[in-house]
Amino acid sequence: MEKVEFVVVGAGLSGLAAAMVLAEAGAEVLVVERGDYPGSKNVTGGRLYLGPIRAYLPDLWEDAPLERRVVKERLTMIAPKSSITVELSSERFRQPPYPSYTLLHATFDRWFADQAMKRGALVIPGYKVDDLIMKDGRVAGIVSSGDEIRANAVVAADGALSFMAEKAGLRKPHVAKNYAVAAKEIIELPPQVIEDRFGLENDEGAAQLFFGSLTQGVHGGGFLYTNRESLSIGLVFALQDLMDKSNSKSSEELPSLSPNGLLETFKNRSEIRPLIADGHSVEYSAHIIPEGGFRAIPRLVTDGMLVVGDAAGFTLNMGVTVRGMDFALASGVMAARALLRAREQADFSSSGLSYYETLLKESFIWEDLKTFQHMPDFLANPRLYERYPSMACDLLEQLMWIGEGSKEKFSTTLVRTIRQSLLRVGVLKDLFMIRKI
Amino acid sequence: MNIIVCMKQVIDLEQIRIKPNTREPVIEGLPLLFGDFEKCALEEAIRIKEVHGGKVTALAVGSPKLRDTIKEALAMGADEAIILIDPIFQDSDAMGSARVLARTIEKVGEYDLILLGDSSADEYSGEIPPRIAELLNLPQVGFVREIEVVADNDQMSEPKKIRVARDMEDSLEVIEVDLPAVIGVTSELNTPRLAPLSAILKASRKPMHEWRSDDIGVTAEEVGARASVVEMLSNLAPIQDRKGIIYQDVEEGVIEVIKALQQEGVLTQ
Amino acid sequence: MNIEAKLGLDVFKIDTEPHIIIHHEICQAKCQIRFCLNICPAELYTLGKQGEVQVNYEGCLECGACLIACGHQALAWHYPRAGHGVQYRFG
Repeated sequence: MEKVEFVVVGAGLSGLAAAMVLAEAGAEVLVVERGDYPGSKNVTGGRLYLGPIRAYLPDLWEDAPLERRVVKERLTMIAPKSSITVELSSERFRQPPYPSYTLLHATFDRWFADQAMKRGALVIPGYKVDDLIMKDGRVAGIVSSGDEIRANAVVAADGALSFMAEKAGLRKPHVAKNYAVAAKEIIELPPQVIEDRFGLENDEGAAQLFFGSLTQGVHGGGFLYTNRESLSIGLVFALQDLMDKSNSKSSEELPSLSPNGLLETFKNRSEIRPLIADGHSVEYSAHIIPEGGFRAIPRLVTDGMLVVGDAAGFTLNMGVTVRGMDFALASGVMAARALLRAREQADFSSSGLSYYETLLKESFIWEDLKTFQHMPDFLANPRLYERYPSMACDLLEQLMWIGEGSKEKFSTTLVRTIRQSLLRVGVLKDLFMIRKI
Repeated sequence: MNIIVCMKQVIDLEQIRIKPNTREPVIEGLPLLFGDFEKCALEEAIRIKEVHGGKVTALAVGSPKLRDTIKEALAMGADEAIILIDPIFQDSDAMGSARVLARTIEKVGEYDLILLGDSSADEYSGEIPPRIAELLNLPQVGFVREIEVVADNDQMSEPKKIRVARDMEDSLEVIEVDLPAVIGVTSELNTPRLAPLSAILKASRKPMHEWRSDDIGVTAEEVGARASVVEMLSNLAPIQDRKGIIYQDVEEGVIEVIKALQQEGVLTQ
Repeated sequence: MNIEAKLGLDVFKIDTEPHIIIHHEICQAKCQIRFCLNICPAELYTLGKQGEVQVNYEGCLECGACLIACGHQALAWHYPRAGHGVQYRFG
């Protein structure tokens, strides 16, 4: 039977980061990836925040195949027939070190795997890990098509569904309220057209998030990122809410509430249509996102195994920003550091590996997840998706609309809006809730 | 029996897409793998070795990515691999590629049988087997879908002949060939094995030699772009003219489609 | 753009063995709501003539939403065998 020091399940960002650090320290590490190549099963909305992770992975980013550095942030509130967009453009975004980049997984992950391999990791795509070897209650390796590979420790970097964490007894069966489902389309456009349409200069990119009636009342939102030669556009839905809402609609309405149906409707809105006009769709993808936040984090360590990245539930939706890839990279590095310490002490039991949790708790991952632990509750508020965007859009529209006849005083419009939409118990509750986030 | 298997890493053809506005295939950066033809050739070599003993050497020319790709050949059961990586090999035509392979085979020296795909999955020129045979002055058979080693009466001595069946579409032509010989195989020859994960790990411990042009005595005048006498003028997807008619009703649709096919002369009345 | 055209953009290496199997006895006896019909981003779940749920596993984007949404364990869902299923070019 073959034996290696460490096996990493999954060649995504967290797994490859772990492998890279392990290999660099001279450890023998095997990364097993079920796709044809690293990235072939991975989907991102599209943006990586480099700020939090430069300290964890320095000297890596110069030649990385990143798409565009984001210099423009847009947030759009969508009402049924109108919208308000806030655009933040800052010189700070335009100065190195650049805070965030758009990227495409299939390109980036293959490059990242090459970097790990250059440092001595063995990355083997085209093989699926079916099971864990359990010996005396501890994880002792992996099984792929009946073939066993033993290891001192296994890193479960197998993504949001993480069957490995479940097999090792670290995670209970999935519950819908902890997940979101996303559908995304990639639309190709010439670089010059992208720059013209978004008001960008060379290599600059834009990121745009949407919330409001585009999800038909379902808790969720939309995103649009500029890549070098394409746009990534998609919608995200809280899975439980999508299930509840699609169930309450009559059967004739059902098709329109499907993720793809809503994405098509979104693409046809006047806010989006001109941005994607004459583009060619080149890929349609879907993925789930662990959005349970701090309270949904599974157990992360057991004898002979660690859980990292999406598998550990490390993502954070703060409404105005969505993150996951930076957490994945940093958690992979921390897992590797813990494994290297365990290697020195030749102790791969859960107490030998508990340094991983210590590192995590001292890191931005834990801090951010904890600080924003009430975010899922806040974002589950239906008024965010229907009433508030509509109210704001209607109000601005009334203030700006010049039609036939005379215009009423601004104060009259304002008072009416406040009386009609804001003087309600729910709104006061929402204001109270804001203190928590 | 010592068998050399020439293998070419090709792009994953299923990954190719066509640029809608220019009709150009997008090939750059696609993942590389061994095609069915080369895997069948290797599989057959391993099977022959399993029965008759000897050694299987996998031989490949290509980009640096070959250092990874070749592991699959070693994991499947090749005893040794020789990979040839050199910028001067780039953009060789079939003659240049055959020359690199033939020089390498000459340098390896000890061989009884050279197996390779009759064509490669990407370019499908089918020129390599006969050109290698010509350069090495060996007999060559193509379109081979069955190989049988002809055992000598004297069981102790090395086999000196093989019997092969050539696929002639409507018939099978059976030929006996003296060894050493160059055999171009089709993908009907066998079903290549899937190497288990542990075999990939073991593969990293098998001998792998990386040679450059000077190791085999080849110069930039003989191979690569400079020596190429073939120039690709264009590589575009055919223009597709789609009528874009969608029939909602199956019964009606079938009748209409048959009618249309008859009008186009695809189906006879 | 309809869903068939969208799935047509992707590379699928189709396995002869389905990786999603519906346990019809559980599905029909226990599930009234059938979330799978609505939530699948690839719209792979449909109703058959007898009202039974059918799935076209070939176009699966491997998100796993159906597995999570099906609260009755009526789905045997696992990742396709290595070398099969969707292979994203962009991701």
